[in-house]
Order: sequence, then C-alpha cells, then structure tokens
Amino acid sequence: MSDLSIRTISAEQHAAYLAAQPSASFLQTPGWAAVKSEWKAESLGWYDAAAPDELVGVALVLYRQMPKVKRYLAYLPEGPVIDWDAIDLGRYLRPLAAHAQEQGAFGLRMGPPVATRRWSAKTIKDAIAGGQQPKLGDVRPDVIEPSGATVAAQLRALGWKAPRTGEGFAAGQPQYVFQVPLAGKTQDDLLKGMNQLWRRNIKKADKLGVEVSLGTPEDLKAFHQLYVETAERDHFTPRPLPYFVKMQAAMAHQPADVCDFRLYNAHHEGDLVASTIWVRVGGHSWYSYGASSTAKRDVRGSNAIQWRMMSDALAAGASVYDLRGITDTLDPNDPHVGLIQFKVGTGGEAVEYVGEWDLPLNKALYTAFDLYMRRR
Amino acid sequence: MPLILHIDSDRWRDHLRSTWTPDIVPVAKGNGYGVGNPRLLAESRALGARTVAVGTYTEVPPDHKDDVVVLSPWRPFLEVPQGKNVIHTVSRLADLVSIPAGSRVLIEVQTSMRRHGIGARELRHTMLLNALDRIKFEGWSLHFPMGAGGTSANIREAQELGKAARAVRPGPLWVSHVPPQKLADLGENVKLRMGTGLWLGDRGAFSVRATVLDVHSVRRGERVGYRQRRVSGDGHILVVSGGTAHGVGLEAPTAAASVRQRAIAMAKGSLDAAGMALSPFTIEGKQRWFAEPPHMQASMLFLPSSVAPPAVGDEVGVDVRYTTTTFDKVSMD
Repeated sequence: MSDLSIRTISAEQHAAYLAAQPSASFLQTPGWAAVKSEWKAESLGWYDAAAPDELVGVALVLYRQMPKVKRYLAYLPEGPVIDWDAIDLGRYLRPLAAHAQEQGAFGLRMGPPVATRRWSAKTIKDAIAGGQQPKLGDVRPDVIEPSGATVAAQLRALGWKAPRTGEGFAAGQPQYVFQVPLAGKTQDDLLKGMNQLWRRNIKKADKLGVEVSLGTPEDLKAFHQLYVETAERDHFTPRPLPYFVKMQAAMAHQPADVCDFRLYNAHHEGDLVASTIWVRVGGHSWYSYGASSTAKRDVRGSNAIQWRMMSDALAAGASVYDLRGITDTLDPNDPHVGLIQFKVGTGGEAVEYVGEWDLPLNKALYTAFDLYMRRR
Repeated sequence: MPLILHIDSDRWRDHLRSTWTPDIVPVAKGNGYGVGNPRLLAESRALGARTVAVGTYTEVPPDHKDDVVVLSPWRPFLEVPQGKNVIHTVSRLADLVSIPAGSRVLIEVQTSMRRHGIGARELRHTMLLNALDRIKFEGWSLHFPMGAGGTSANIREAQELGKAARAVRPGPLWVSHVPPQKLADLGENVKLRMGTGLWLGDRGAFSVRATVLDVHSVRRGERVGYRQRRVSGDGHILVVSGGTAHGVGLEAPTAAASVRQRAIAMAKGSLDAAGMALSPFTIEGKQRWFAEPPHMQASMLFLPSSVAPPAVGDEVGVDVRYTTTTFDKVSMD
C-alpha cells in the first residue's frame, strides 16, 4: 500500500466530506479555524492514487506560532478525520508530517478521536464511594476498546510521542470525557438511566414552569452575563463575549450545514436561570458551554436545560450526547470530583481517548516549545 | 480498690442548669469528659436539651430519641448508623453529592482552625448550590480555635463567615468556642456546641480519689520496683490504685503556653524521662514523687519519713486531666 497524497482543500470540500461521515469533532470543522483566528489554519484532504478525485480523509490544521520565531506547531484538535481502523496509519500520517514540515512546522500535535476504555456510571460511583481515591485510569474499566491499543501501537511505531499523563497542556483537549450513549434509546430509556435526583429535578423544573427555548445570536449577551456570574462562583477565567459572538458566527453558518450550533435558554417567570451552547456534527452532539444563575437554584434550570439538549440530540438522530471533559481524579477532596458526580448522574459513561500525540519535526525547537508550555 | 471520680451532684447540676440555655447543644464525646457519655446524655435530657452532639459515628447512642449531631465529618468510607435522628456534618463539596439523598446535613465551613470544612471561596460553587436540595439542610457549622487571638477574633470571623454562608442559604449557625453571652452578636438562630465549659465548668464539683493498697517502710539506697531503682531517702513506699490503664502518668500533649503552665501540665501526671517525676497523687496537701513509672493499674509513690504514711484503705487525692482519664467508677455523691 503506497502512501496517500495530501493537499490543501477548500472549506466547501472539507465540510461536504465531514457531512457525509457518521460523525466528526466540531473542532475539525472548517468553521473552527475562524474561532481560533489568532492561529493560521488550513483544510487538508487525503487522496488515494486509485481514485484521485475522491477524498478519503480530511483535517483542520491550526498552526500555532512559536514565540519569537516563524515556526509553528501544527495542531489537529480531535482529529484528523481519517479511517483510524486502517491497517497502515502511516499512509495518512507520513504525508501529513511532510506537508506540515513544508509549512514551517517544527512539530505536530493531534488528538485521534479513538476511544480506549469506558467506565459505566455505576463503576465510577462505586470507585468514589470506595474512598481509595484512585485515578479513573486505575479503576478497572467496563469496556476496553480494541482499536485503542492498535492505534497507540501504530503511532509509537511511526515515531509519535504518547501523551504525558498528569500534565494537562493548556492548549490541549481532555483525554477523559463523559458521554451519554443515545443510539437505539428512547427518551424513557434516558430518564431511566439517570439517577433519582436528576429525574426528580427534571420533573420539578417542569412543574415549577421552567421553559427551555432555542436562543438567537442576540441572546449571546445574556448568556455571557450568566456565564461570567458562573465563572465568579466556580473560580475559572471567563472568555470574553466577542469569543462567543465569533464562535456562533463561524460555527453556525458552515458549508453543507455540517455543524448544528444552538443556544438554549431556560427561563423561569421571565428570569434567565440557565443558558447553554449545544453543538452537533453528524451523530455526535456536545454540551459545549453552560451557565446558570446564582438566584433561583431551586427551580432546577440546569437540569431542565440539559434534559432538553439531550432530548433534542436524540431527536436530531445523534448517537452520542457528549458532556465533554472530566478530570481523572476520583478523590473526594478534589473539587473537580463534584463535576464528575454531576455528569455521572446522567447515567452515561466515562470514555478515555488515546489522548494527544506529538511528532517532533525539529527536535531542538520542539523541546524548547515543550518546556515553554510546561512552564507557563 | 478503684480510682473513683466523685461528683458533688447538687453542685454540678446547679452549674449545669445555670450554664445551659436552649441555644446550647451539649457535647458528649470521647471518654465523656471523665463522666462517661451515657451519663452526659441523660443529664442533657434532664436539662431539656433535645439535640446533643457526639464526636464520631461510633458514639451515636443505639436507641436515641433526640437529634444527634455527629461532629466528625461524613466520609464515604465510614460506617454510618441509620436513623432519622442523625445529623451529619459535611465538610467537602464532593461529599455533598455523595452522601445519601435526603440525609440531614450541617455544612461545615473552613475557619482559621484549618481542620475541616468547605472554603469560604467555594460557598457559592455551582456544585454546592446544586447539592443543597438533595439533602435536608440543617445549617452551617463553624469550629473556631481556642485562645489564640482571643474570643474577639472568633466573633469577628464568625460574623464574616456566618454572613457569607447565610447569604448562600439561610439557616441556623452552629458554632463552638464562642462565649455564650456573645451569641447574639452573630445574629438570630445561633446554636453553641459546648463540652468542657458545660461539663467541667465547675471543677469544684469534682474530686478524684485513689485508694492506698499497700505501705512499706524503706531506707535510703534500697532498691524498689520493677526497675529496681534506689530510693533517695528514708521513708515509705505507697502502692495506690490508678495506673497507665486509667491514663495516670500518660500525657496528652499540652497546649501550655507558659513555663508555669508547662510545669503544671507536667505535674498533672506526665513522666519526666530524667528520672524522678511528680505524681498526680496528693498526700498531706502535696503532690508526691513516683518511686518509678506507674504500673498498669497501680502506682508506687515515695513518701519521705517526715510525713506520716496513710494506712492501707485510706483514700488520697489525685489531680488528673478528666478527658484523658478512665475512672473505675463515677460516684454521684
């Protein structure tokens, strides 16, 4: 099998290819390049010599400039979108590395959308209650995905460096996420999978008259106010409003309608009590950003809005509702574990991905960048 | 003959009645301040207290009719007695989510004690706000240091933390180590947990007596005891009830702040490694030297020949720390 060829493609070609796939990360859609406008970006396509007009894979590559030099880290967040079950991943990755080098990259970083292990809600709950304070990765999983090990072994053989655990790169995407599988399920099945508190709160919100509706771009300002309020409460640094305006504009209007981007609002008697951003590409849907008011907690707007997003994901034919990142700590002393527990209440599963892999192209520059990132 | 704690019951109960108010939650924990937890719980009930506090889950009485607050924070790995009367203390965000739904819960807020509690910064955390309605919220708990900074520092801290916590969710404020007369400064609906101040507030109601079990005359230089030490002069060896099993001669680390306090703490039964140590036993109004380290249930004392020895069967006084002593018997006189 000879290597594939790779070349820059248009946003239209890129989006059309993604739209024909069962799913892809929204970070791999051409629109994401506009969200990350401080980085140079390009859409890449792979072609097989046997059928030179037919795309067999695509990638969104973000070129992150190194401080003080005109060299880049070529970053493929949650990508590329290729056949990860291929016998020889080198057919895709060797041309990718060569192309990135031509573009002035000193290294590559990618996050293959390949799951390695899964833990059910019950397994996680038991692990936390056990009080041994393990790391999620040390808990016996319910499912071990065969493709995970195969991909990791191939990447190592191709010279890629495995993710260093325990050092979250600020630029990186989470290795552990929490997902609710939707395939073959009804709304009733989803409710049954949740814990009692979730079910009770969803009912309560309904009874108290919380109304969830789709928002418009004009609602982003109100979303952002609530999001800043949430950030103050939970001690994280909020992104500025223009980031979300840019995100909405870039993601919602993509060729081939590849990305379904929505803002949801939960109101109680005219007060905005929760506001969230929901994204779907093919069969994969995400809860991307969320905010809730400090006042009127008791009307359970957060549960109501989550339930609506989940139901709408199901109605849109998604097979996964993805609540995104969780840390791997199961230590009750760690405030992060609360977030896991909130997500565990949905009855889904924690999924470990193979993580972000690096390919140094220029050893000295790559080492310098690595140090810089770790010292930041 | 045993080591006995004698309590002048009328005097003690007068003190209890004059100290207790409906805002005070009696604390019965550990060795029951020397008196024993079952008696403390009975006295609490007699006072009219309908809520008591215990230290740990193992101290929750099996058949309690009243509310029992457990001061040690809930942990997912602890065996927890069931019952509608148990009020838990939760001190970590994640435990608020883990504790069985519907549990009665006090949320402990981290104070300058830095022992247990959710930090003031986290009081408005979304996790906490979300978890408030999966539990039966009973109030906020604040545990303050003793002494250091004086009570005025505690009051200031209690006012600030109490205000911040109640802004998140109104409810009773449960505090310790705040003077009862200052409770009003913290606002409405404040409960004061009280242990030492209530039970041991009038030491005059207590006396500890040991019994003389044996008396031998000795000459200077003769060897005595397990360790065959030479005695320092002529006199008597007394064997009295009370040894390491009771806590005699054992030291709880003292918080003594001055040399004098340290000396007093030493004298209250700590053993000096350098050799002779003052025992907590008093004869003719003076503390007497240990002839050697205390045995398990009795101690050997040296009494110089200048003092007439007591007779076998006589009682002698003992000065011990009530929280570290296990008495053979508590006698309500």
